[in-house]
Amino acid sequence: MTIDATMVGRSYTAAESYQVGREKIREFADAIGDPNPAYRGAGAIAPPTFAFMLGSRALAQLLSDEELGLRLDRIVHGAQKFTYTRPIKAGDEIAATATITTVRKAGDVEVIMYETALSTVDGEPVATSTSTISHNRADA
Amino acid sequence: MKTAEAGTELPPLTVTFRREDLVRYAGASGDFNPIHWSDRMAAALGLPGVIAHGMLTMASAVRVVTDWLDDPADLVEYGVRFTKPVVVPDGDKGASVTFSATVDKVADGLAEIDITAIAGEEKVLGRARAVVRVQ
Repeated sequence: MTIDATMVGRSYTAAESYQVGREKIREFADAIGDPNPAYRGAGAIAPPTFAFMLGSRALAQLLSDEELGLRLDRIVHGAQKFTYTRPIKAGDEIAATATITTVRKAGDVEVIMYETALSTVDGEPVATSTSTISHNRADA
Repeated sequence: MKTAEAGTELPPLTVTFRREDLVRYAGASGDFNPIHWSDRMAAALGLPGVIAHGMLTMASAVRVVTDWLDDPADLVEYGVRFTKPVVVPDGDKGASVTFSATVDKVADGLAEIDITAIAGEEKVLGRARAVVRVQ
């Protein structure tokens, strides 16, 4: 199967929520080389791009939709945007839903935009992640 | 909260990525795509060598803004386009990227900031922009 514009609107909710822990935030901040004290300690908030990780389970669901026929090793990340309602913080239990918003085709390349809504499991909106990916179906 | 006006330049930042940094980011983020650690797999995709995770470059770029802010929680929006890969050779020197930022406009308590990311002579991010709360 292959992705096309009729698949715009399909939604994928991560089967499990993501529990944000302060040590994971610190590990992530260390990995991006960011010493900001806001990302450490009892009241830690997460660095801005931590939000991308929170969408990865929903993205995995999208990629495993066999009707779309997407392969991770044929995907290039083209653009990324986040809007924040409030910072992500240690102790948050985050639910993620990814929705396909645009599909454009140019030969073998499919440019797909999807939006991932991040909220607490109680339904409080936290952030939205908008991703543009290019998928190349040509045989290498 | 910061005050800002159009034209304000934020202090620039230069970050060096080495292979070790890519391995650490892979582990922390869960992104184990081999193009970020295997020259062989990178070459198979037509890349000149192992490249940094776009999300690592994106994370580093916004530090120009969050280092300047009193509180990174004042960031309300942040977006980039990944225009050129950052090739990270295997060696102590690694690859350096220099980030700079300028306030484009201020209105209604929000400042729009344009970020530039240069590796070698090339811009590696396009349309990199952050929106932050200001006084």
